[in-house]
Amino acid sequence: MDKNSTLRSPRTLLALLVAVAIIVATLLVVLSQLGGGGGSGGDVGEMYAGIPQKGTTLGDGDAPVTLYLYEDFQCPFCGQFDREMFPDLLDDYVRDGEVKVVAETMAFLGPDSVTAARAAFAAAEQDRYWPYHSLLFENQGEENSGYVTDDFLRGLAEDTPGLDVKKWEDARAGESFTRELEAVQAKAQSEGVNSTPTLIFEGPGGQVKIDRLTDYDQITSAVDKADGS
Amino acid sequence: MAPSVRSGRRYTAPRVALLALAVVGVLISAYLTWTHFAGLTPVCTGSGEGCQTVQSSRYASLLGIPVAVLGLVAYGGLVFSVAVWAEIGIFLSFLISLVGTLFSVYLTYLEVFIIGALCQWCLASAVIMVAALVCATLAVLPLLRAR
Repeated sequence: MDKNSTLRSPRTLLALLVAVAIIVATLLVVLSQLGGGGGSGGDVGEMYAGIPQKGTTLGDGDAPVTLYLYEDFQCPFCGQFDREMFPDLLDDYVRDGEVKVVAETMAFLGPDSVTAARAAFAAAEQDRYWPYHSLLFENQGEENSGYVTDDFLRGLAEDTPGLDVKKWEDARAGESFTRELEAVQAKAQSEGVNSTPTLIFEGPGGQVKIDRLTDYDQITSAVDKADGS
Repeated sequence: MAPSVRSGRRYTAPRVALLALAVVGVLISAYLTWTHFAGLTPVCTGSGEGCQTVQSSRYASLLGIPVAVLGLVAYGGLVFSVAVWAEIGIFLSFLISLVGTLFSVYLTYLEVFIIGALCQWCLASAVIMVAALVCATLAVLPLLRAR
C-alpha cells in the first residue's frame, strides 16, 4: 500500500464513509420533503395572509396593474410556475397593492382539468379560490391519470384555510360553472392565448403578454412596463 | 509481488468503467439541467409526458437547486475522483456513488409512488449511479484486503 497514505485504517475510514453517506442522503431526502411538502393548509394560509381575495381576483382592487393569469390545473408548467415563481410575485407586487391577479382558468387538457376547475370555482364562491388553486398545483399529478378524484378534491378543500367544506360541496353539486369556463375560453381566443401558463399584464403603460415564461426577470420587466415606469 | 503493483492492476478496470459511467452521467445531468433552465421538455420516449411531469414536479428542485444540478455536481465529483485516484480518490468515488445511489433510490420511489410518472433520463441516471457504486466498491475492496 501507499506508504505516504494518511489513512491509518481503511476499514475504519470505510465505515466512516458509509455513515457519512447515509447522513448526507438522509439530509437530502429531508430537504426534498421540506421543499416538496409545501402544500399544507398552514403554508397556503401564510402565503395569502393579508392579501384581499374576491371571487377569482386576488389583491387590491385599485392596483394599477392587473395580471390576467391563464392556467390549466393539469398543466405541468403552470404547476412549476405556481410553486416556484408565484409566491415571489405575491410578495413583490401583490401584497403591496401594485398588482392584482385575475384567474383565467382554462380546462383544455382533459376531463380532470374541468373537474379541478369546477372545484376551484366552487371555492371562489367563498373567496377562497387562490389557496385552493395553490393546493391543486402543489398536489398536481400526472396529466389525465385520473388523480382528480372527489376524495382528492375534498382533501384539498379540508386543507384550505377558511373554506366551509359543506358549502363548497353544495356549490360543486349545484353549479357546473360551464358559463365561467366558456367565458374564459372565449376571452383566451380573443387574446390569442393558445398555451399555458400565459400571463397578460395590463396597466397605464399598456399590455404585456408572456406566453413563454422561463425566468422571473420577465415578470419584473413586464410589471415595470405595464406600470409605465 | 508488492501490494501496490497488484492493487494497481486491480484498480484499472473499475477506474476505466467508473470514468465512462461518470462521463455519461455528466452528459445526462447536463442535458436535464439545460432543459430545466431553458424551460424545455426533455426528449422522452413515448408521449414524453413522464419526463415533463417529473421535471416540473415539486420534487425537481431542492432548496431551489434543480436536482439535475445536484447530479451534475455528483458526476463531476466522480470524474474528479477518477482523475485523482490513489486511495483518497477511490474513497471519494465510493462516498459520492453511495450518496448518489441512496438518493437515486429515493427519487425513483418518488417517481413510481408519489409523482406517478417515469422519466427515462432519471432512471438511466439511477442505473449509472448504482453501476458506479459497484465499480467504486470493487476498487475499495483491494484497499481493505491489502491492510
